[in-house]
Amino acid sequence: MLEGKNLIVFFENAIAVNNLSFYVNKGEIVGILGSNGAGKTTLMNTISGLIMDMKLKEERKGGERITVLGQLLFEGKDITDLEPHKRVELGIVLSRERHPVFLESTVEENLRIAACSRRPKESRIGIDFVYSIFPHLKTIRKRRAGFLSGGEQQMLSIGMALMTKPKLILLDEPLLGLSPILQKELVRAIKEIRDDGVTVLITEQFARPILPIIDRGYVMENGMLVMEGKGSELIENPEVKAAYFGV
Amino acid sequence: MLTGIIVYGLVNSSILLLVALGFCLTFGVSRIANFAHGAIYILFGYLMWIFLNWLKIPFLFAILLTLVLSGIFGYVAYYVAVRRVRGIVLSEVVSTFALGVGILEFFRWMGFVTYEFSLPPIKKGSLYILGFPIDYQRLIIILAAIGLVAFLYFFTHYTKLGLSFRAIAQNERTAIALGIDADRVAALSVAFGSAFASVASILVLPLGIISINSGYEALLIAIAVGIVGGLESIPGMILASLVLGFVQIVVGVYVSSAWVMVVYLLAIIVILVVMPSGLLGKFKELEERV
Repeated sequence: MLEGKNLIVFFENAIAVNNLSFYVNKGEIVGILGSNGAGKTTLMNTISGLIMDMKLKEERKGGERITVLGQLLFEGKDITDLEPHKRVELGIVLSRERHPVFLESTVEENLRIAACSRRPKESRIGIDFVYSIFPHLKTIRKRRAGFLSGGEQQMLSIGMALMTKPKLILLDEPLLGLSPILQKELVRAIKEIRDDGVTVLITEQFARPILPIIDRGYVMENGMLVMEGKGSELIENPEVKAAYFGV
Repeated sequence: MLTGIIVYGLVNSSILLLVALGFCLTFGVSRIANFAHGAIYILFGYLMWIFLNWLKIPFLFAILLTLVLSGIFGYVAYYVAVRRVRGIVLSEVVSTFALGVGILEFFRWMGFVTYEFSLPPIKKGSLYILGFPIDYQRLIIILAAIGLVAFLYFFTHYTKLGLSFRAIAQNERTAIALGIDADRVAALSVAFGSAFASVASILVLPLGIISINSGYEALLIAIAVGIVGGLESIPGMILASLVLGFVQIVVGVYVSSAWVMVVYLLAIIVILVVMPSGLLGKFKELEERV
């Protein structure tokens, strides 16, 4: 479904993503594991196209030069140079790191904003779908997003991504900073999202909570993929254990 | 005397609000300080005059045409004057200001400076409120200001385009990640801002003559209302218009009408010193920003 070929992203004085090739099949949950600064977020921005926007803005300002090389294929189509909103139309959506939502709007408004490129009727169905995955959001739907806890904002952020009716959802560190109970709740939701037919690509620093549900995983270090394997294989792998389970 | 101050304070506040609304809408959505706002206000006043007097277009149709053209003008102006320097605040200001000065001085050069350039009021005549005479045009201005604010509220809360405006205003990058085309929304925000300016010019300009200098003054009004109210908050703008509008009338009555213009400048300075984010602004206070 999604394939990256020799992706390279470098900023003026650092290589964030270094010659990286990967693929995601339809219906999979694929995890990308890596520590801070491994390049996970840059990779997510590259896939979602946000990097194009950052690049454009830096160029206009005469700031840092960002270079993207390589090729990204989505359902056989080359999307390397596509603008982010066109990628959303194709069905790729990103829930950004640290769950930035629209803080001054209520939960339900956030969801409606996320669906503003869709028809009102679809938006209604989408909201019901999000509430079925996160029943808690329904109970707080009139609350302003700025007053939500981190976990609630994360649910909202994923819910907003779902409102665009994606084929592939990119989750950038969805479990970051959440309590184990909330992590469990989100892991359940992610599984449910996949069972509803949405392919999931997820990045995470701490592998323990998500390894059981991922079909395949990549381990990323310094912008390179150093290891690849099935979820169960990665659990057994001593190097992964040492690096990402804190054993 | 008190009735007069209240009535004319309301009228003056409504005028300020009408003139400033477009400027603040554009800035609130896309952070573009459109310094051509005053020029657009005058440009469409003159165009309206040309439609009515040279082309002899019927009044209502001329209004419609002016509104549509001003929207298109704003949209194109974004791509011509702003897009290349988008994100560099100072360049945006310089570029839009240059556009504005260009438009205004073009009309001066064309000789659009005599007393014959004035727009007809929407409805002639006047009536008495609490024993105080007020003409229909000024009443319409008050109603239009209320109507426009109500429109803006419903537009930004219940329409797809309005929702995407608020998305970009709150968190541009998240909005982009959700599939909103930031460039298009920014262009549309300038288009709406300039359409609002033309609404203001159709309603406000009939009170006097269309003059080049009122273009510069309109820009000053927009900036003053924006800064005093907090540039991205509609309640803040309403409050700022009321405060400035009434203070001006009071100053005009009790001090001297020569001081009326000073009110804007003093208000800007006082607000920037005391509360830099404006009366109801959501910008962070200075110390939090650092």
